[in-house]
Amino acid sequence: MKIFLALEDTFQVKMAGFLDNFRWPECECIDWSERRNAVASVVAGILFFTGWWIMIDAAVVYPKPEQLNHAFHTCGVFSTLAFFMINAVSNAQVRGDSYESGCLGRTGARVWLFIGFMLMFGSLIASMWILFGAYVTQNTDVYPGLAVFFQNALIFFSTLIYKFGRTEELWT
Amino acid sequence: MGGRQGRGSAWRGGTGRQGRAPRGGEGRGGRGGLCGAGAAGGAPNLGGAAGQEAGSAAAQLGDMAGVKALVALSFSGAIGLTFLMLGCALEDYGVYWPLFVLIFYVISPIPHFIAKRATDDSDAASSACRELAYFFTTGIVVSAFGLPIILARVAVIKWGACGLVLAGNAVIFLTILGFFLVFGRGDDFSWEQW
Repeated sequence: MKIFLALEDTFQVKMAGFLDNFRWPECECIDWSERRNAVASVVAGILFFTGWWIMIDAAVVYPKPEQLNHAFHTCGVFSTLAFFMINAVSNAQVRGDSYESGCLGRTGARVWLFIGFMLMFGSLIASMWILFGAYVTQNTDVYPGLAVFFQNALIFFSTLIYKFGRTEELWT
Repeated sequence: MGGRQGRGSAWRGGTGRQGRAPRGGEGRGGRGGLCGAGAAGGAPNLGGAAGQEAGSAAAQLGDMAGVKALVALSFSGAIGLTFLMLGCALEDYGVYWPLFVLIFYVISPIPHFIAKRATDDSDAASSACRELAYFFTTGIVVSAFGLPIILARVAVIKWGACGLVLAGNAVIFLTILGFFLVFGRGDDFSWEQW
C-alpha cells in the first residue's frame, strides 16, 4: 500500500507540465489592467471600420447593381444601428445597479438590449443568406457577397468586444 | 491641496539643485547665477528662495525637454506630409486625390477633445465617453488608411502613390500620438515630463 502511494506521488510529479514554471517576461512599464478598456475600444474600432471599408471597397469595385445589389447595404446599416443600440446601455443599467436609471429603467434597458441583439444577429444571418443565396449558388464573382458577409461579421465581433471587453469598474 | 503643492515644489527644488550638475554646460552658468542670487537672500528666506529659483530652473529644464520634443514632432510631421505630397506630385503619379486624407488628419484629435470637455476627468481611470472617443479616433485612422487603398483598387491613383500615402499616414498619426503623449498630460502633473 505504501509503495503504491509512493509510486503515485512520483507519477504525479513527473506528469507535471514542463511549462509549469514558465512565466511571460514581466513588463512593468504599462499597467494593462488599467488600459483594458482603451485596448478593447481601439480593437473594436479597428474591426468596425475595417468592416465598413471592405463594403465600401466592394461597392466601388463592383458599381453595377447586377454585381452588387444596392439593397445589400441594408445589412450593414442595421448592424451599425444594432452596435449603437447594444452599447448605449451599460451592464450596470441592465442589472439595475446604476443610480441614474436613464429614461428606460431596468426592464426598458433589457428590452433595448434584446432588440439590439436581435437586429445584430438578424443582420449577420441575412449577410450569410446573401452570400450563399445570391453569390455562391449563382456562379458569379463571389467577392461582393464575401464583402457583405465580412462587413457584418466584423461589426458583430466589434460589438462583442466593445460590449464585453470593457470593464465598468474602471468608470468608478 | 496646499500640502500637495508644498511637496511638489520641494521635490522640484531638490532635483533642480542636484540635477544642475549633470545637465549641459550651457545651463550651469545661468543657473549658477540664479543660485547665487538665491543664496544672497536673507537667511530666513534662503530655503524658500533657493527652492523657488531651483524650481523655475527645473521648469526651464522641463521646457527644454518640451521644446526638443516639439522640434522632433514637427520634423516628423513634415516628413509625413512630404510623403503625402510625393504621392501626389511625382511625375509618375500626378493626381491629387490622396490629399483627401488631410481631412482625416485634421479631424482625428477631435473626439478626444470632445470627450475631455464633456466629462470632467476626475479620479476615474476611464469613462464611457473617453472610450467612445478612442473608438471613433481609431475609426478615423482606419479610414485614412482605407481611402488610398480603395483609390488604388479602382486605379484612380497608382499603387506606388498609395504606398507613399500610407507611409505618410503612419508617420503623421505617430506624430499626432506623440503630441498627445508628450503634451497631453494636464498641468497638474508636469513633473511627469521628466
